[in-house]
Amino acid sequence: MADVLTAVGVLVGLGAFLALILVVAERRLVHSGPVRLTINDADPVEVPGGEPLLSVLRERKIFVPSACGGRGSCGLCKVRVLEGGGSVLPTETPHLLPDEIEGRVRLACQVKVRDDTAIEIPAHLMEVEEYEVRVEAIEELTYDIRRVRLAFGPGVEFRFRAGQYVQIETPIYDGLGEPVYRAYSISSPPQDTGAVELIIRKVPRGICTTFVHELLLVGDRLRINGPYGDFYLRETPAEAVFIAGGSGLAPFESILADMAARGVRKKVTLFFGAVSRRDLYDLERLHAYGERLPGFSFVPALSHPDPGDDWQGETGLITDVVARHHGAMEGMEAYLCGSPGMIDACVRVLTDKGVAEDRIFYDKFA
Amino acid sequence: MKQPPQLSQAQARMAHGALTRDGFLGTDSRNLVEILQDDDGRVRRLGLGHADLAAALQRLTDAALAHLGAPVVIDDRFEVRSVEAMGRMPCPFGHPGLFVKAEVHGRRLDTGETLVWTPLSVHLIGAHGFYQGRGSPYRLEPERLAGFLGMEGKGPEDVT
Repeated sequence: MADVLTAVGVLVGLGAFLALILVVAERRLVHSGPVRLTINDADPVEVPGGEPLLSVLRERKIFVPSACGGRGSCGLCKVRVLEGGGSVLPTETPHLLPDEIEGRVRLACQVKVRDDTAIEIPAHLMEVEEYEVRVEAIEELTYDIRRVRLAFGPGVEFRFRAGQYVQIETPIYDGLGEPVYRAYSISSPPQDTGAVELIIRKVPRGICTTFVHELLLVGDRLRINGPYGDFYLRETPAEAVFIAGGSGLAPFESILADMAARGVRKKVTLFFGAVSRRDLYDLERLHAYGERLPGFSFVPALSHPDPGDDWQGETGLITDVVARHHGAMEGMEAYLCGSPGMIDACVRVLTDKGVAEDRIFYDKFA
Repeated sequence: MKQPPQLSQAQARMAHGALTRDGFLGTDSRNLVEILQDDDGRVRRLGLGHADLAAALQRLTDAALAHLGAPVVIDDRFEVRSVEAMGRMPCPFGHPGLFVKAEVHGRRLDTGETLVWTPLSVHLIGAHGFYQGRGSPYRLEPERLAGFLGMEGKGPEDVT
């Protein structure tokens, strides 16, 4: 019995000793006091040590896009870490290509600023700002899609390019520990500088879309930041196809309104894919662009119309509909917005038909 | 039951609000290692392996995703359709790769039985033998899953 007690005592003592070593090592080796952060060759600034780089940047009102709120799931918050940052973490590797790892690209949400750190971020991100907005209107477009109009404060003019997106900060609700950010394309035209409209589909069990669809009310205040993204119309002579699925119509509504406002002439066909009639919206508005934009045509299509839909339009998967409408597509441009599955399927069809890969545009957050 | 540190890290990523709003553990208070061992035993008692169940579920998932939200009938036995969202999901175990954010709704045409799962669910079963915790929205009870897929009482050699 005494031997057992001695052995237990030795084990407990050894465990306590090892724990002490770990505590001392962490205090000595892990820097958690103020550190210096250098951004794009600007003068270094002092920031608190030990925080995720994404949070440190956000504190300084520098908004690197992140659609998952720093959970390491979207892979959007890529920055080049030139000094500090430690090794690439297993949580980052799924999002990084080998040449990005070679080029010291990291996910800002996963990098802890423990030591003096130097980073490089695209200059245009320094222009992104945070805004407090008021929910001015909510419109039910379908059973699971809402249009939300967010008004900026007096005197604020929000400048963006048609096709870009903003991030909504979803406040803490339902026991969630921290706000999360989600990206949504702007559907209103850039000429409307006092507000932005977003088209938001309810995602099953989605953090932000549940908030928008179940809790958000007219008059509520929200924080958004933006604008982001390089999904915009290339004003070339090339004919273009726009392909949208579900709420993916949003950036095209902005681009078409902008084209009409500025008199941009370009041959464009907008394909809008949905499952059944109840998934379609804004049809009249989109058909009306046929009068305002020479060279514009609109093709809504249903993949599985309900018997009661009385649908006389195109049917089939949107990829098949595009393929039926166009023969060879060399020299054309394609703009895609929808689910990753729709985008992947469209890219396959478009490249098979001769559209150059660098002429196919879509948002990375999809 | 002692749990390796890697599983503890994975369990932390499975919590409510960590990677997803609902997380992966539901109301299950057991350690991840216990959940894995319990479900592993149940699948073995069915005479199946996790890979068998995942392969059958993957086939239905691929068909649903390929039809971009429209329902599709497979083998005159299953009707499946996907509800896809923008974005992709990482594996909470830290496995490489990202998974399409979608729900797949499956229905047996002969029995009317329904099941909902995600592309990530398929990976979690096949690669990790993880069917999610009790009370998780996407928990798949192994016996119910095998029954839905028509694999009850079949050894791997009988599964096509």
